[in-house]
Amino acid sequence: MNIAVALLAPQGRRRDLPGDLAMWFFIFAELLVFGVLFLAYAFARARNVELFNASQLELDRISGAINTALLITSSYFVVRAVDRIRHGASRACVHWLAAAMACGGAFLVLKLVEFGAKFDAGITMSTNTFFMFYIGLGFFHFMHVVLGMVILGAVALKAWQGGYSAADHTGVETGASYWHMVDLVWIVLFPLVYVLR
Amino acid sequence: MKQATLLWLLLLALTTLTTQAATLSAAAGLTGSAVPLVLLAALIKGRVVIDRFMVLQHVDGPWRWIVLGWLLLVLGLIGYAFNLNPT
Repeated sequence: MNIAVALLAPQGRRRDLPGDLAMWFFIFAELLVFGVLFLAYAFARARNVELFNASQLELDRISGAINTALLITSSYFVVRAVDRIRHGASRACVHWLAAAMACGGAFLVLKLVEFGAKFDAGITMSTNTFFMFYIGLGFFHFMHVVLGMVILGAVALKAWQGGYSAADHTGVETGASYWHMVDLVWIVLFPLVYVLR
Repeated sequence: MKQATLLWLLLLALTTLTTQAATLSAAAGLTGSAVPLVLLAALIKGRVVIDRFMVLQHVDGPWRWIVLGWLLLVLGLIGYAFNLNPT
C-alpha cells in the first residue's frame, strides 16, 4: 500500500460514538470554553496588534513546537492503546498509555520551564494584555493536561488489573476521547499564541 | 495501524512546516503573510485528530459536525480577527 492510499483509506466504519456519552458532553463544554477564550484573544489582539506582536517575540516558539510534537505523539500512542485493547491485549494497552503519559509529563515539565523563565524575567499576567492571555490560556490548558493524565492513569490501572477486554473497553475509549480533545485544543492554541502575527 | 502512523508523521511534518514558515516570514518582516498557511495547517491537523484519532468520521448523528464545526468556526473567526487590523 503506498502512502497516499494509506492516508486516504478509512480507518474502519465505526458508526457509534466512541466512549461514554457523558464524557462527550463534557468535551463539548470544554471546547466551548476554549473557543470563547481563543476568540477573546484574537479580537483583543485586533485592538492591540503592535503590543501583541512585540510581546510574542518574547516567547520560545521552539519550546511550543516541541510541546506540540509531544501532544501529537501522545495522541498517537493513545490511538495505539485503543487498538491494542480492541484486540484484547491489556498489557500492550497499558504500555502505550504509559508512553502517552510520559509525553504528557514531558509537556508539563517543558511548560513549567517556559513559565519559570517568564516569571524570572519579571513577566506576569499583569504585564500586559498579551501576557494575561498567554499565561491564562497556557495555565488553563496545563490543568487540562494534568486532568487528562489522571484519567489516562486511572484507565491504565484498570487495564493493568484486567478490567477491560476486546468486548468491553468503553472506559479506554472515554479516556482516549478526552486526551484527543486536549491535543485538539493545543493544535489551535499553539499557532494562535506562538505563531500567528 | 500503518495509517495511524502515517497520519502521526503528517501531523509532525505540518507542525514543523508551519513553525518554520512563520519564523521565516517574521524574520523577513512579513507580518500577516503566513496566517492563511498556518490556519490551513491547523485545520488539516484538527481534522485528522477529529476524524481519525477520535474516530468520529463515520459516526451517526451530529457529533462529528459539532466538533468539526467548532474547529471551522474558531479558525474562521481567528482568520477574520487577524485581518481586521493588518499591519
